[in-house]
Amino acid sequence: MVVEDPRSIVKRWLEAESLLVVGKSVERADSIEKALGRARFVEDFFEEGYLVARLVLAKVPHARLRAIDYSRALGVPGVARVLTYRDVPGENQVGYAIPDQPLLAEGKVRYCGEPVAIVVGRNPDAVNEAVELVELDIEPLPALLDPLEAMERRDVLVHDSLGSNIAFRTRVRKGDVEEGFSKADVLVENTYRTHHQEHAYLEPEAALAIPDLENRITVLATIQYPHLGQRIVSRVLGTPASYVKIVAPYIGGGFGGKDDEGPLVAARAALAAYHLRKPVFLYYTREDSIQTHPKREAAVIRYKSGASRDGKLTAIEVTIIHDTGAYANRGPFILWRATMHSSGPYYVPNAKVDGYCVYTNKVPQGSFRGFGNPPIHFAVESQMDRLAEKLGMDPVEFRLANMLRPGSETLTGQVLESSVGVHEALRRLAAASSWRTKRQEYERSRTGRFRRGIGAAVAWHGNSTSRGVPDWSNAYIHVARDGSVSVYTGIVEMGQGSPSSSHRQLVAEILGCPADKIRVVFGTTDAPDSGATHASRGTSVGAIGIVVAAGRIRSRLESFLSEYYNVERERIRMSGGQVVVDGEVRMSWEELVALAYTKGVDLSATGYFFLPKGAFNDDVGQGFAYPAFSFIAVIAEVEVDTCTGGVRVLEVHPALAIGRVINPEAVKTQVEGAVLQGIGYALMERLVFSPEGRIVNDNLTDYVIPTSHEVPVIRDPIFVEDLWEFGPFGAKGVGEMAFIPMPAAVANALSHALGARITELPLTPERVYSVIKQISGG
Amino acid sequence: MYYKLPRIEYYRPKTLEEAVRLLEEVEGSKVIAGGTDLLVDMKTSRAKARALVDVNSIAELRGVEDLGEVVRIGAATKLQELLESPIISENLPLLRAAVESMASWQIRNMATIGGNLCNASPAADTAPPLLAYEAELVIAGRGGLRTVPITKFFTGYRRTALSPTEVLKDIIVRKSEWTGWGYIKLGRRGGFTLSVVAVAALARVRDGVIEDVRIALNSVAPTPVRAYRTEEALRGREVSRDLLEKVARTVVDEISPIDDVRSTAWYRREMSYRLALDALTEALGVK
Repeated sequence: MVVEDPRSIVKRWLEAESLLVVGKSVERADSIEKALGRARFVEDFFEEGYLVARLVLAKVPHARLRAIDYSRALGVPGVARVLTYRDVPGENQVGYAIPDQPLLAEGKVRYCGEPVAIVVGRNPDAVNEAVELVELDIEPLPALLDPLEAMERRDVLVHDSLGSNIAFRTRVRKGDVEEGFSKADVLVENTYRTHHQEHAYLEPEAALAIPDLENRITVLATIQYPHLGQRIVSRVLGTPASYVKIVAPYIGGGFGGKDDEGPLVAARAALAAYHLRKPVFLYYTREDSIQTHPKREAAVIRYKSGASRDGKLTAIEVTIIHDTGAYANRGPFILWRATMHSSGPYYVPNAKVDGYCVYTNKVPQGSFRGFGNPPIHFAVESQMDRLAEKLGMDPVEFRLANMLRPGSETLTGQVLESSVGVHEALRRLAAASSWRTKRQEYERSRTGRFRRGIGAAVAWHGNSTSRGVPDWSNAYIHVARDGSVSVYTGIVEMGQGSPSSSHRQLVAEILGCPADKIRVVFGTTDAPDSGATHASRGTSVGAIGIVVAAGRIRSRLESFLSEYYNVERERIRMSGGQVVVDGEVRMSWEELVALAYTKGVDLSATGYFFLPKGAFNDDVGQGFAYPAFSFIAVIAEVEVDTCTGGVRVLEVHPALAIGRVINPEAVKTQVEGAVLQGIGYALMERLVFSPEGRIVNDNLTDYVIPTSHEVPVIRDPIFVEDLWEFGPFGAKGVGEMAFIPMPAAVANALSHALGARITELPLTPERVYSVIKQISGG
Repeated sequence: MYYKLPRIEYYRPKTLEEAVRLLEEVEGSKVIAGGTDLLVDMKTSRAKARALVDVNSIAELRGVEDLGEVVRIGAATKLQELLESPIISENLPLLRAAVESMASWQIRNMATIGGNLCNASPAADTAPPLLAYEAELVIAGRGGLRTVPITKFFTGYRRTALSPTEVLKDIIVRKSEWTGWGYIKLGRRGGFTLSVVAVAALARVRDGVIEDVRIALNSVAPTPVRAYRTEEALRGREVSRDLLEKVARTVVDEISPIDDVRSTAWYRREMSYRLALDALTEALGVK
């Protein structure tokens, strides 16, 4: 009997034992070509003779846009065309959450760096010159740069028609906070501030749009969700989606930035190619990229929490304000996620949380590894340390006493029946890192110029999209007659490695074929819509479809073999490229495929899997928030130079509860990258805005990110394999995880070293030094 | 692909005379050495030039020589060559320490010491040690050679005593018996970065008395600067921790830092004191 039902297939492989490929550190498929420089990125597909394009960016933060005069730009020899909102044949509307954002400014400009026009020419020199000659006829308007001010203002509106600068609100009402606080023996109340972060990917945004004879268009783009790019291009051009093909070749880093900007860069290139009927290559310079694309959420968080003497949280009251900049972009989703995670991975009986996504005349807020969770965890985990301190408890013990376990109810009242391994993760981590010993040792030696501290932070992160927002996985697999296997997925390869490692491993495990026979065709709209490569879902959700498709083919082959050899299926083993019946090798994978082709076995399959979700009540923020949560605990050790305020992270110990680990090495690299990116955010990265709201440090000399000098000792992660029932072999997401607790862990370690707490990021030497001066009375 | 050099004329003279003649004759021409600052600036339109005169093929501009009483460094000598030169290690350890903190191996193999000085950034890393050593700069121009002390070389923010038709030829450092040195660079990260403040200190101590001392800083004024008054307050005095802590504060009165993307004026003042104290502690051998 052939099993085609997705749920049954997912369950079968969740429960599979004695795995041969899954769980092993199989080498990535792309390592050699990347090491040799042969891997091709968007710009590598540029050919001599293609037109080139560049954006004209607004230089004012807020103004009415009366007219755009590009006559002088057109006069530059080599310039082919200048495109503005007037040239958009479909809808000039690209807002993801709220329809508030034009592809090219129309009527108003709302931030310094907003794309106003596209200059297309035959060479970059001409285009560069012409970009400077496009003149905007504007009527300046007062600019709002502070979200707290913008919330209150009605006289100046970033979006006139909305009547308020609050783009979106969230709320949680659980239990009775007043009663909760009245039961508390200790209260902690603080305001936390976090800042923007630039993605600083190696490869800035680019798109190459190639029209064909029938006005169909192919766009190669730096994009994290090709099918979303297809929808946006189709909307902007007013053509059916089937006339648009999007391909993401290798991408030089995304981190969420190319989830927001990817479809837009694709649409702008497509718009130019549509009009000029020639291939057009659009590329952002580093400066253009930093000025224009959305950044990590800058947040103001007011947090009050209470706990009883026996170490139990009694209530939290939280206000989250996100500076979403000129456009909502994905701001509402980011705020939603931050709100529903605002308790941390702890049981909180009473909660009142309010979130505000506020417009200002600054660069928009957008997706960035952690998606709203790093700032809220900075607040939560700082609070937890303070509460523990007031209670006289060890911070790890206090956390463990409140931590979610199987059967616990989350902030939104969702009961997590299984896949909650965070308690064990933190417990094992504390032991492995000698937490208690070091904590005491550093406290005793809190004198002298260089002081050490050790801090813990724990984080949770819902897998898949929030609430009941539909999410699915899909893939197509085809086995050729020679036994080679093509896997088609819309998941992209931006360095994270899901198509290059885990996807291949899953297929090799399920089909029992050699891994080197498998080619994963990724990042294309020619594959079924597999959802975005974001939210740590490239494997966790993105590969469920691969499991289903491969599982179907496996089942068909088993069924065929059972008949062929006239034995029960249980006696047949397919693994490592061999078919074994009753312990005896009967044929190779290649022979099996060749035979199956002659016997009417269908060796092509799609694998659609629709994630089951539950109901959510937005009025009280209660209900089903996420199908599963990934968890992480980190312990960080820092050293602070009390004479300069300089902080160095010496050592980081991670422990993950992310379900099945498909490729330990791949997970380790994700952890290492996220740890370093988190250290950069916590200690040094800082966008500087001019009084007009323009980003001053729009290059990588002035905006510094960590280098190899800042890499601490990162211990091998501890894994708690708390399987998720729908994940591939039980896997959950990992890509964002290590970033989320890092700012909090570093801040907690620093507080431990100094005996003083800083509630604003980044922890630059200036800021730390000024606190040291205050506490030493200097 | 938009980071393209504009169309320019390019000359690569073999002699200093030819270089000077080109600078005089070719309108809008500029000297290029390593190009690690200039080319980036030209590609991003921060610097403009119609023609570049490349001095890398002028043999006499390259290399480090021990001439007995002085060390001569050709202006087009690569930073990495300085790092690997035994003459520099032996005679100019303070300069070596500064070069070691600069950029990456790749950049150090392109960038030159003369370029670092002529670019005249307030953050120039080779400037504080050379100011402390009181290097003499030999400049070639139409009238032949002239010598300018480095203390007179930086005339303002990104301005030098060089005229547009002159070429920096040599950096000459007189050997002297320094008994100690100290160099500290504070950046926003551990390496590959511009300084927030850097301090270089040289000292000669005899029988516990400070015979001579020199202190220079970068990134705290429109040009790299010497802290003369602090030096004066130390000279002739007996080495002691108390003296240092008191006198190092004077540094703050000799600088005029600003707020910028890298730091604040306040923090730079605080750190100028702290780094001067630390560098002097090292240089004077204070326990």
